[in-house]
Amino acid sequence: MISVSNVSVILGRKTIIKDVSFNAQAGEMTVIVGPNGSGKTTLMRALSGDLPFAGKITINGHSLSHLKPWQMAAMRAILPQSTSLSFPFTVREIVRLGLTSGRSGAAPHVAADLPDEALALVDLAGFGGRFYQELSGGEQQRVQLARVLCQVWQPVLDDQPRFLFLDEPVSSLDIKHQLIIMQIARAFATRGGGVIAILHDLNLTSMYADRVVVMHGGRVDCVGTAQEVLTDDRILRVYECALKVGALPSRQVPFILPQSAVM
Amino acid sequence: MSESALMRPAALRSEQGGSTRAEGDRSFLARLVIAALAFALLVTIVFSLAAGASDASLVSAITALLPGDSDVLSLRDSIIIYDIRLPRIVLGALIGASLAVSGAVMQGLFRNPLADPGIVGVSAGAGLGAVSVIVLGGTILAPFIAIFSFYALPVAAFFGALVFTLILYAVATRRGQTSIATMLLAGIALGAMALAYIGLLTFLADDRQLRDLTFWTLGSLAGSNWPKMAAAGPFIVSALAISPFLARGLNGLALGEASASHLGIPVQRFKRIAIVVVAAATGASVAVSGGIGFVGVVVPHLLRLIIGPDHRYLLPASALLGASLLLLADAVSRTIVAPSELPIGIVTAAVGAPVFLWILLRRRGIVDL
Repeated sequence: MISVSNVSVILGRKTIIKDVSFNAQAGEMTVIVGPNGSGKTTLMRALSGDLPFAGKITINGHSLSHLKPWQMAAMRAILPQSTSLSFPFTVREIVRLGLTSGRSGAAPHVAADLPDEALALVDLAGFGGRFYQELSGGEQQRVQLARVLCQVWQPVLDDQPRFLFLDEPVSSLDIKHQLIIMQIARAFATRGGGVIAILHDLNLTSMYADRVVVMHGGRVDCVGTAQEVLTDDRILRVYECALKVGALPSRQVPFILPQSAVM
Repeated sequence: MSESALMRPAALRSEQGGSTRAEGDRSFLARLVIAALAFALLVTIVFSLAAGASDASLVSAITALLPGDSDVLSLRDSIIIYDIRLPRIVLGALIGASLAVSGAVMQGLFRNPLADPGIVGVSAGAGLGAVSVIVLGGTILAPFIAIFSFYALPVAAFFGALVFTLILYAVATRRGQTSIATMLLAGIALGAMALAYIGLLTFLADDRQLRDLTFWTLGSLAGSNWPKMAAAGPFIVSALAISPFLARGLNGLALGEASASHLGIPVQRFKRIAIVVVAAATGASVAVSGGIGFVGVVVPHLLRLIIGPDHRYLLPASALLGASLLLLADAVSRTIVAPSELPIGIVTAAVGAPVFLWILLRRRGIVDL
């Protein structure tokens, strides 16, 4: 479990996030939503150990402040929004970097094949020999996901769950690959790992999230299931946009159509 | 997705074992290239032993390298080969390797294929340290010489290089992103500053010091002897010995500092080690041979075109190719105007500068400078 309690981040003189608390359970997909500038990415960077913060964050009971980079690398992997390279690496060479920490969890004789397997998983089989810089933005993002998957290939290692942090994983993807990536994240959680994702798409959020954390003005507005959290009132207040939340009758999954906006 | 996974089941591929290499995996090619470069270096060393103003022959050169009975060599050939050519060749190979490896490490550190100690002013910083010792060694810096005696020159050059690298990093890098333009401009400013001080020191120098300085500024291996080798060798050899351990970190850094840290690399500590390695290698090389330019940018670039940027292979390959190329350049400089000789810095610049321009042109379409 990842536990975030009373976390604040101050950059320069500006408080970016304040008193943020929530838990992300193993076996679940926790989705962070909120408008631009609400502090989602700052929260993710604090979780990743990139930013100094006040308060406490623990991964499987270990305080983040006491963990070394290589210890954190064995517990979680992080997909950044985008990655640019300055040298001509092939796709396979990039994916292989995910094995750097040496804790993929795969058996040694399988580990050498992991990059190809991970590429097949993100629907990029046969792309290993291409140069990363020649790919489209969406393809690059999926290459990075394959790399990140190699790092924590087994969602559970030594009886401890491991975590995937995904910062807008589907932002530059077409709808087919949005669904593929969300399925991969879903499967990671089903197999015992934990997923924390930042998403802008409220419909994907309501389809896949076990738990939704709504950020608003640097604070947590509320935490709960999609049904509990995605309401007309909250969307009006947080996103300043009057939208009508619908619900599919069979599964009670809320959906939100931009067409319903009252402008 | 499931379809493509089914088409290439993992079990089938692992049964095929090591005989098939995955697409995009250049490690086999890289190992092959490294082996070829090692062989090429060996050949270059033998021919360098035989080449020069005097006519000590290829046979004597090979005999000299083999263990055992050295009586077969004439006394004259033996002096030429053991006391004149061999120290120069060993030092030349070490300096070539050190220039190429410090270039490759710096490029990985700055995430930029144009970063090179010679181009961004680090060599100038090393030069400033070295010239200070040459000119002020008898006066203000006498205590420094008293402490480091034999090693004073390389130590001073090392500190000059270290300080300049740290300034450059502080100026050009913000939140782990290096601005190419800022880095090159800061390098120009640092280089100009160092040249100004070197100019001032040249003004203060006496005649004997002036001759040392001129020879040193042009870049030359001509003064190579066993004592110089003993002073600079330990710095270069330690830097080269540490460099393979930097490969993993440099590969991670290619993704950016945040992602490198997420992969488990202690980025801040890693960068400090890499900077010290670059400063040691550059400082010691500059202390011995002066400014030999362009090896550090051309060698890693050519190798990246062939074996790719994976530093596990790029660093050793750079060391081998750098050593061979510098020995070839030195052989040219020794023979082209024999019995006199050209400073080697002129040869490497004449060949390296056009290649550097070619790299710039190739990148122009890809990256805004």
